[in-house]
Order: sequence, then C-alpha cells, then structure tokens
Amino acid sequence: MGEAPPESLNRQGLNEQGLASDDSLRGLLEKTGLWRASSIDGDYKQHCSTGFARLDQELPGAGWPADGVTEFLHDRAGIGELRLLAPALARLTHEQSRWVLFVSPPYIPYPPALAQAGIDLTRVIISQPKMPRDYLWVLEKALASQSCSAVIAWPGRIHEKQIRRLQLASKEGYSWGILFRSGASSKNASPAELRLRLRPLPDSTPGYSQGKENSAVAVKILKRRGRWESEEFTIAFDDQLLRPMPDFSEMVIDQKIPTTKEKPAFDRTSNPVIQTLHEYQ
Amino acid sequence: MDINSLDINSHWICLHFPQLPVEVFARHQVEKPVVVTIRQRVVAMNLRSQESGIRIGSSMNTAYTISEDVVSFEREEDRELEKLTHLAQWAYQFTPSVSIKPPHSLLLDVSGCLRLFKGIDNLKKLIREGLDSLGFEVALGTSGTPLAALLFAEAGMPEVPIAPEVAQSLGPVPVSYLRVEENIKDTLLKMGISHCKQLFELPVDGLNRRFGVFFTDYLQRLTGKKPDPQKTIDSTPRFRSDITFLSDVTNLESLVFPLKRLLGELQEFLIKRQLLTNQFSVKLSHRGHPPKEFSVFLASPDNDSQMFLMLSQLQLEKVNGMPEVDNISVAARNFFEAEAGSGDLFQGTRFKQKDGRIHSKAEEARAIKLVNMMTARLGPQACFGLSLANDHRPERAWKPVTLAAKDYWQGGNGDSNPRPLYLLPTPKALSTEAGTPCMSGKLELLQGPERIDFGWWDNDAAARDYYIAKHHTGSLYWIYQHLDNCRWYLHGIFS
Repeated sequence: MGEAPPESLNRQGLNEQGLASDDSLRGLLEKTGLWRASSIDGDYKQHCSTGFARLDQELPGAGWPADGVTEFLHDRAGIGELRLLAPALARLTHEQSRWVLFVSPPYIPYPPALAQAGIDLTRVIISQPKMPRDYLWVLEKALASQSCSAVIAWPGRIHEKQIRRLQLASKEGYSWGILFRSGASSKNASPAELRLRLRPLPDSTPGYSQGKENSAVAVKILKRRGRWESEEFTIAFDDQLLRPMPDFSEMVIDQKIPTTKEKPAFDRTSNPVIQTLHEYQ
Repeated sequence: MDINSLDINSHWICLHFPQLPVEVFARHQVEKPVVVTIRQRVVAMNLRSQESGIRIGSSMNTAYTISEDVVSFEREEDRELEKLTHLAQWAYQFTPSVSIKPPHSLLLDVSGCLRLFKGIDNLKKLIREGLDSLGFEVALGTSGTPLAALLFAEAGMPEVPIAPEVAQSLGPVPVSYLRVEENIKDTLLKMGISHCKQLFELPVDGLNRRFGVFFTDYLQRLTGKKPDPQKTIDSTPRFRSDITFLSDVTNLESLVFPLKRLLGELQEFLIKRQLLTNQFSVKLSHRGHPPKEFSVFLASPDNDSQMFLMLSQLQLEKVNGMPEVDNISVAARNFFEAEAGSGDLFQGTRFKQKDGRIHSKAEEARAIKLVNMMTARLGPQACFGLSLANDHRPERAWKPVTLAAKDYWQGGNGDSNPRPLYLLPTPKALSTEAGTPCMSGKLELLQGPERIDFGWWDNDAAARDYYIAKHHTGSLYWIYQHLDNCRWYLHGIFS
C-alpha cells in the first residue's frame, strides 16, 4: 500500500523532465506551494475499478478511491445505489482480508444477493450501534482501525465537521468511507473527496430506450479531485432485472388445446399430487 | 497394608497461607494497617499493624487507640476458602495433583515434576516468587507424605531436606500442630508429650486403645506407614481474582490500575495453563450498593491483557449509578485450548496467505481487534456477520453469525434468480388497486412470478409468488403475492 500506480508515476516523471529547462517555473512550483492538476491522480494510492467502464473513465484514478470519504446522494432506495458498489465490494472482499463494514444499514443487506454479486460474505460485518454517539464512534474507529477496506453508512443528518473527522480517519486507516445521504444534501458543502448524485433513470432517456432488460441509474459526479463536476451519465447494470414478464393473458387464450385445461399453470389445488390427496380424504 | 508400600520417591509440598484471613482483603503490599476481627477482637492482621503494636486478641478499641488509621474487616471464612480454591487453580501450573486442605493450606504432589522444574529448591523458589508477586505470604513445607508436609508448613518449622525416614524428621515438631481433635492434643500435653519424637516412641497399641483407631491411623498416614491418597482438585480451569479497596473509590477512572493488575493475573493464568478466553466479567461491588457487573466478549479467544484492558475500559466508561466501589473482581470461565502456534517471523510482512488474499498476521489481529472493540462497546448482539442459510424461504435464506463462532453456511441454496440487496426484516403489506399492488403509486410487474412454496412441514409455510416490480419513481422492488390470501407484500428492494 502507499504506492502510486505506475502510469501516474510515469506521467509525473515526464512532466518534471519537461519543466527542467524552465527554472523560473520550477521555482514557482517548489516555493509557492502550487500544485498541478495533472499530479492529482497520483495521490490516489490504490484504485479499485468500479466495474463500469464509463464510471472508471469519469473518476480520478480510473476507479473508486482506496480511502477518503465518498458520498452517494440519492432520495429513494432501490435505484441501484448498492448495485453500483457491488463489483467494487466483490473485489475488495476477495483481494483483501479486511472487513467491509455496514454500519446500521436501513434494511438487511441480503446475503443471497451479496453472494450473487460475488461478495465474500466472510469479510462482511454489520454493526448496529443504538446510541447516536456510538454511531459516529463506530464510524471513526472502523475507518481509522486499518482493518476495514470499506465502511458503508447511512448517517442521516451529519455535520460537516463530523464528515471531516471521518475523512481524516479514513486516510489514517486506508479505508474507503461510503456515506449514503439524501439528495438534498447536495446543496451543502461537504469535505468528502468524491460526491456522486444518483437518480433513477427517466424512462425517456435518450440512448436508453424502453424494452431493455437491464436496469440503469443516472449518475452525476458533483465533486471529484482535479476536475469539474461531470455531466449526468447513465450506468447500465448487467442484471436483467427489467426482463419483461411473459404475457400470461395470451396463455389463457391459447388454452384451446384441451390438455392445458387440466393443468392451469399456477393453480395450487390442481397439483396432481395434492389432487390425489384430496380424493383420498 | 504393607509397611513398605510408601513410595520413597514421593515428594509433597504444602503451601500454607498463614495470613489468608487478612490477604482476602488486603494483599501484603498494602501500606495501611489492616486487621481482621471476630466480634470486635483482632484475630489476624498484616505486617503494618504488627509493627504499630497491635496484638492478636486485642479489642478494636485498643487497636484504634494504637493506630487511628487502622482498617478493620470482619472475618469471612467463605471468602478465605474461595480464595484458597483460586490459589489452587494457580498452583495447577506446577502439578496436576493439587488438593485443598482448609482452612489455609494447599498440598501439591510434585513427585512427577521435579525434573521439569530442575529440583525441589528451584520449584520452591518459583512458588515463592509467584505468590510474592500476587501478594500472598506463604510458608512451605516439604516431605515424603502429604500430612507431614502439611504439618511442617503449618508448624512454621524451618525447612529441612526431605528425609527418607519421615518419622525421624518430624521429631522436633510440637504436637499442638497435629491435625487431630483438640482434646487428644490436650491429653498428650498433660501426659508430658510435647513433641512428635516423644509421641512416636509410644507403643502403637497403647495409643490405639487410649485415643482410638482414628488417631493411630492419622499417625500411620503421617509417617508414611499407610498410603494416603489425596483428593485433587478437578482440572476444570476457573479464574477469579479480586482487589478490595481500603477506602472507597469514587472515581471510576482510577479503577483502571487495579483492573490492569487483575487482568495481568488473568493473562498469566491463561499463559501458564495454555488457555485462551473469549469472555470475562468484571464486577464492581460496594457494601452499600447493589453490585454492577459487565461482561467483555471477544471475537476470538485471546490471552492479551492489554486488549482485555482496552475492552474493559470501553465498558467501564459506560458504568453509571455506581458512586463508590470497594471491591473489584475479574472472573473467567470460558476457556479454549491455546493452539501451539509458532510466532510469525515476518509479523508485518504481507504474504499471499492460505485463503488466497495478500495480508499479514498483524492485519488479521487488527481485524479481530476492531470487532472486539465494537462488541465491547455496543454489546454482543450489535455486531455480527452474514451467512447464507439452507432454506428457500427468503427470510430464512440467511442468518446472522456471531464473529466468534464463524459458523458460516458453506453451501449455496441454489437460488439463481435475482435477489434484492435489501431485504425487509418483515414483509410490508401493500394495498391493491384493481387487483394490482400499489405503494403510493402503481407498481409495474416486470419479472415473475417466481414461486417459493416451502416449509409447509414446519408450521411456518411460505407459499408465495415473487415478482420484480418497478415503481413509477424508478425504484425496483421485490414483492410477492401470498398464495393463500392473494394479498401483496413488499419484501425487498433492489438497491
């Protein structure tokens, strides 16, 4: 840990070579504490690909950060907020022996679904502090403990100073802090390094027409290092959740064939075994 | 029984604690004069009281006149016996055959462990040093028979090397220390027999007629003419240790030091017995208040007193309603065999470990520490892992697992259909509008039905048709129709 990926090293190296001739510029850079936007990527120690090419493209360091606080702002549950994280969590749980900690999740993070997403359940822990002061204590301790690869929380109302503390703790423990917050909090400034707004995809989104089988979410990066906020873009999941239901009404029409009448598809009492049981009784 | 049946190689050490009545309240490092009384008469005291001039048998009034800061306790024999039991557990580190001889003695059969401890003198040194650091004064007696060792220790005789002829070595011991009825000893003294030497010169038949068969039996066991098997303590490990404060402690933070000492004792106990524990309890008591007790749970068994202390402190901070404390105790009874693991030479180095991940032993230890801290502060139920379970009912297809037990279900449950990342703890009933389910807006059924009809054999049947439904806001839900009453329920969220 603590090493910049080779690409950014190269980039930095090249830049320095390029500037070697210009002493005045170099002096300015060294003495006045100026920094170049291009060197920002190098600060990201370890990147974890998001699993979505478009998102990787937009994020500094081409992936989720390894530490720092990332905020996901959204209003309704069920728009893909966790599915967006799932590929990264799967990688973290398989590559590292550290925990992925859910702090007071609003519902049960459902193990069969986590397993389907490839997440190693033996690395997942849930913590449910009851008192508000315990809540921040858990977040801070877990982030700073160096024993969590990611800490996921739904903090509700949280103060800017508290996020700053979490940010510092996550840097200390090389932990990725993930906060799910309401969409309205985008109005307030936050010390989080990365902020993304998630919205359900409007049905009329161009380029994502009706009738697709995969669900999708509209993402807008509100804050990222080294770049301005992004345009809203669409991330499609490979989940086939929107696969339409077979039209059963047509099946009823097809029931002209005499044999189907004996076996309506979903009538419990028509189950042959149960029927025989009824006859016996 | 054959006279020669005594194993001449048997070695017994008796640990006699003459100051135990005082030491249950104040171990011998205490700087204040402490006395133990029965009905306002001093029956035992520590060295400090002795120096100030208090004598056994003097009344408390006298004691207060001599020294005004004397602290007195009413004698508690139950506690003495309890303490003796715990000292027996401590002594188990030397030999498995430890027997308790109330009121204040322990007997150790060390015949089998002399070579291990490099001779009896070294063993005695180890025992003395150990008890000294615990704060107990001990008189040691060694002999070839248990009763003789006991007699030597209780009589406070200068230690003599173990002689093959037990009776001869017992010669100078006064008869008043024999463990026989008081009237026998009185009679012996009246007969002019004050030392064992004189006693052993008397004919056995005469003694038998005069004092009964029990007395001669005792003498025969004492001198090794008869075998004398001892009842040893059971080997079930138990730990309890306490510290009594001479003045009430009002600041709970200052309990950290005594607690540290007790946990250090726990660690030593665990190391000596090659054990680990995953749970111990700390009890704060005061004579005027109901006691407060808290348990500290660890995610994995350990023997590290630093970790124990840190976790106890987390709980200690939360104790309230305990204005004063005069006794603190630590007890543990859940033990695990320590694995004979070897230390990690490359402690901090990250390697590809058996599970295919790259990490170091130090990281593993840190991961456990975090769980320990959370369980200590939030309680054992507030921190758990997730596992699949062998059931098709969605609410039972998973189970929480305690991180100490790590009982993860290894198999899958074979459900390949999409499952939501959020499951509601209890399904929420949905209203219907013209036969279709609603949730503040229409739900559009996208995929389904997936029939789950399971568990009709265990009175908790689930007969449901599951659908993926899309809310007009774009959220995706996992809903089901109950097959019996045709009602709709929300059960999960595709978050």
